[in-house]
Amino acid sequence: MYQLNKVDKKFPGVHALKAVDFKIGRGEIVGLIGENGAGKSTLMKVIYGAYQPDGGTVTVDGKTVRFQNPRQAMDHGIGMVFQEQSLITNLTVMENIFLGFERQFVRFGVINWTAMAEAARHQLRKVKLDIDPSTVTSKLSFAQRQLVELAKVLTLEERIDGDLVILLDEPTSVLAKEEVELLFSLVRELTSRASFIFVSHRMDEVMELSDRIYVMKDGEVVDVVAHDAANIDAIQHKMVGREVDKQYYREQKQRPYDGSKALVRFDRVGVAGKFNDISFDLHPGEVLCLVGTEGSGREAILRTIFGLEKPGTGTVEIKGRPFERTNAQEAVARGVGYVPRERKVEGIVNGMNVYENMTLSQMGNYASKGVLRIGEEKALAEEWIKRLSIKTPDVYKDCGGLSGGNQQKVVLAKWRSGGSDIFLLDHPTRGLDIGAKEDVYDMIREMCDDGAGIVLVADTLEEAIGLSHTILVLKDGKFQKRFAGPPGDKPSLYDLVHHMI
Amino acid sequence: MAKTLTADKAGTGFSIRRETLVKWAPLLVLIVLCAFFAVMEPRFLSTRNFARILIAASPALMVAIGVTFVIIMGSIDLSMEGTVSVCAVAFAFCFLWLGGTLASWAWLALPFAMLVGAVLGFVNGLIHVKLRIPSFMASLAMGFVGTGLAMVMTGGDRIRIEDALFRSLLTERILGFPLMVYVAGVFLLVAWFIQTRTTLGRNFYAVGGGEDLAIASGLNVNRVRVLGFTVAGVFFAVGALLAVGRIGIAETATGNNFMFLSITAVVVGGTALWGGVGGVWNTLVGVLIVFVIGNGMVVIGLPGYVQDGVLGILVILAVILSTDRKSISFVK
Amino acid sequence: MSTFIKDFIEKEKINRRNFLFTSACGLGGAAAMGVLGPGMARAALTDPTIAWSYRNRTNPYWNEIVSGGEAFVESLGMPKDALTHLINEGSSEKSLADVKAILAKTGGNLALAIDTNDAPNARPVVGAVAEAGAYVSTLWNKTDDLHPWDFGDNYVSHMSWSDEGPAEQTARVLLEAMGGKGGVVHLGGIASNNPAIERLNGLKNALKDYPDVELLAAEPADWDTQKANQVMSAFLTRYGDEIAGVHCANDTIAYGVLEALRAEGIEGMPIVSYDGNPQAVQLVAERKILATVFTNPHWGGGITAALAYHAAIGTFKPSEEPNEHREFYGPTIMVQPDDALEFKANYLDSVPTYDWTDFWGPSNGPIVYK
Repeated sequence: MYQLNKVDKKFPGVHALKAVDFKIGRGEIVGLIGENGAGKSTLMKVIYGAYQPDGGTVTVDGKTVRFQNPRQAMDHGIGMVFQEQSLITNLTVMENIFLGFERQFVRFGVINWTAMAEAARHQLRKVKLDIDPSTVTSKLSFAQRQLVELAKVLTLEERIDGDLVILLDEPTSVLAKEEVELLFSLVRELTSRASFIFVSHRMDEVMELSDRIYVMKDGEVVDVVAHDAANIDAIQHKMVGREVDKQYYREQKQRPYDGSKALVRFDRVGVAGKFNDISFDLHPGEVLCLVGTEGSGREAILRTIFGLEKPGTGTVEIKGRPFERTNAQEAVARGVGYVPRERKVEGIVNGMNVYENMTLSQMGNYASKGVLRIGEEKALAEEWIKRLSIKTPDVYKDCGGLSGGNQQKVVLAKWRSGGSDIFLLDHPTRGLDIGAKEDVYDMIREMCDDGAGIVLVADTLEEAIGLSHTILVLKDGKFQKRFAGPPGDKPSLYDLVHHMI
Repeated sequence: MAKTLTADKAGTGFSIRRETLVKWAPLLVLIVLCAFFAVMEPRFLSTRNFARILIAASPALMVAIGVTFVIIMGSIDLSMEGTVSVCAVAFAFCFLWLGGTLASWAWLALPFAMLVGAVLGFVNGLIHVKLRIPSFMASLAMGFVGTGLAMVMTGGDRIRIEDALFRSLLTERILGFPLMVYVAGVFLLVAWFIQTRTTLGRNFYAVGGGEDLAIASGLNVNRVRVLGFTVAGVFFAVGALLAVGRIGIAETATGNNFMFLSITAVVVGGTALWGGVGGVWNTLVGVLIVFVIGNGMVVIGLPGYVQDGVLGILVILAVILSTDRKSISFVK
Repeated sequence: MSTFIKDFIEKEKINRRNFLFTSACGLGGAAAMGVLGPGMARAALTDPTIAWSYRNRTNPYWNEIVSGGEAFVESLGMPKDALTHLINEGSSEKSLADVKAILAKTGGNLALAIDTNDAPNARPVVGAVAEAGAYVSTLWNKTDDLHPWDFGDNYVSHMSWSDEGPAEQTARVLLEAMGGKGGVVHLGGIASNNPAIERLNGLKNALKDYPDVELLAAEPADWDTQKANQVMSAFLTRYGDEIAGVHCANDTIAYGVLEALRAEGIEGMPIVSYDGNPQAVQLVAERKILATVFTNPHWGGGITAALAYHAAIGTFKPSEEPNEHREFYGPTIMVQPDDALEFKANYLDSVPTYDWTDFWGPSNGPIVYK
């Protein structure tokens, strides 16, 4: 029915999709899994028309089509339920459902609200949601909003002839367990009306729901497995594409840490609404990994160490002393360096060049009475460019123009050159290609050898296991279990997952 | 793979060309304008005429530089009209009170006016940061307060500054240009120094380029903001001094039109309103564009309303160009 | 200085407070008026509130107008701040809203002097005042088809100035000083502004008698010193030595022109201007400006309030006065170097004490519509 043939998509520096074949039949639920950066979201964007493929063809019922935008894709029956919910929260449910398609209810320039409400109710019945369509969306729970989104996409049914294909992008990430089950049973029922493409990083869910599963890795479809033939281990291997390689995470370079003193000490620390009763010590040379799902409190702990959140209970000590004034300036002054997840937003300043970015957190060291010593700044930048083999033509290059890996190196160089010895790394390898990831792993080991302590929120569980000396598993802001991970005796994936969910 | 590489090259090549175009467009516009006016009226291209343009532009340049710093931070300062008026009037009162000639202690009125500007800017920044009022609202309100204050101080009168020594800013010429042009030049260099060579200037860019990031780098963003408004206030004061030097009158109306002129100049010069991009040289070019148009239109004999239209179109063009530049950074 | 500021703030505060307070009660008054019905003719009012509605005081011209209003109030034995200020900040909407608010507050017991900001706004203002039984005199702005005598007694009078004649007179002074030959430039007010048009027309009328003088250019300078400075500089580039005289639409423009000339080291250029501001008169005395026209805004502001007030208390009955007593031109005095100092002493350094019941003595004849 809907088919991609050898679809290619390239971005500067990244070959995001490599000759991808994909098809979905009527009433089918197809799962799509892969690691972050494997190309899932690019593939979805091609499917619903946000991106145009550079090569290959898209066919609907055998006819080749080319979507210039999502609206055209919708006209061919392809709808998307967004992961970041796309409902406008200050509008009512029915306004959201018919957003952009109000014309059908307009008579003489006036919207017939009764008719719209009736039509909206009809859509809501499809997803078994019994709410008043004139409710303001912000009053709904996340699960209800998810269903409204689904109902919104299902309006396509009336609007177009032919079959529907609905993409569900991580639909379960904000749902509770029971809600997930409800959603699944609903999706199964709706297969009489539409086909579904189900994208999730939760392998168990994908396996439970899907008829067939596409496994992606590095922009390629590496396997297609039928529901009955699916086997978690096999898929896992396909996804990662290798035995979890000891070399890859530089385990051979992992040295024991110095347990005699603590760089960061959390004693029964809690931040209201984020996490509570968390205790741990971070030692020099240690990689301490926080593991948990989104919203388990990992990021909030990093932000607390960096002085961006004020603990409500317990004590936080950085190098033996609590914060006097809880703010980032003091954290930086104490030697804490923060590598945030959103590199573009919080990592490097677009429009500032390499050396300016590198000295941003330590300008005081390169200035006398507020006047900068630019020569020294450049020398510093050149030294670190060499040391970390940052690929940039010169120190004047706008950091926004560097590749993700090199940007990340600049961020790390910023903190390392400033003498930081407590590093908070939030998804440091997100969006990097393999080579760049390995560079980051090398750097983490180097920093440990220099006596730095690292608190890591890893991009994947494998990464967490491979890199860390210590793993803390969190769930819903509560501490679950602590694992030690010396080389050669690492906990397994399943050990962790068991405590995470 | 080879195919990918060539595609990449073409891609970056295009964006660099576009960036370069955007970067140099204001200067190009300035040169084209000058060439156009010169062709229409050869007398446009004379030292005396350039001196006239620069005399008119000097006060506005100072004000525009002040607001440039604030715009680089991603905020906006609309208090310039009030601040300029207050500084001009405060200067005039202080100057006359201390003797009325630069050859006496009355020279102290110069730093005093700058101090007044600094204080107004500081208060402005404090209101913006501490009360968490959007900068355009806080500064607009401060501007009104300033105009009102100047009104109360003068009671609606004009104060003439006749001191020949002070007026030599206008009357004394070196190489055909009056002293005030050189004074403006010196302050332009000071601004450039602040922009490129001081932690403060770097911080302006950091805050404008990404406030979250500036916080995550341990910068005291609030302090930077308040200082930014303070520096802007000082430059407004310098603008006020030059305005008084040019006309010889300090009054509530001294600040009139500076808001439109300076914001237009900053935008036309290519400094982006959302911060992080641009600088004092952009502003110099922008101010020159605005005043070359003002002068050139009269010189070639076009009516005034055409002037305003042309300026409006330039502002739109400038914004379109710099917006394109931003969206490029969104392209993956 | 400091006492001045204190007084000013104090006064503003009291006005504001009284206004807010009474406008709150005023709504009731308005309702009562409604019951009595519109068009109700009352013979006279007792002790009406006197109010002046104008742009703002930052402008020296309006400052003069209002000081006249204050002088009139003081002549009645009341303190200066008995005059209520309605400041429209250049907004016709605010002007009308203020009038309606004060009518409600005073229940129509009001003598109003007003410049309605623009001509079309005059009709609704006058209508509202007449309906409430209050009395109004207008200054400057009204449409040509709006006449006081169409409103019985309540629309007392309208005063305006025709600038064409006086501007022509100053132009003749200028053209004579130029020796009747060479080029002249005109720097005008805001392009569409009526006085700006009239003053340029005055120059053009005079030029008819001087065939050897060429009007090189006329450019708006928006009544603004700095703009005028810039425009004059550009004129110097374009015409250089061809410029033998400068005709300015008002004094503020002349200041900018003088400084532009000073910057070039040009002295003795014949310049004329308009408005008769104190500093301009001083410059006339110094022969830096050859002539300016004094329109006596102080008298204009005072007499407009006086007319409204005296009609309100019944000193005279407007409907019994001839039309030229209800629509008339304000006074104009041309100031030239020889009489500048004397003029300054009489009119500016010491404000003359006017007889505020001599309503039409200094005026300048009935308004003529073209």
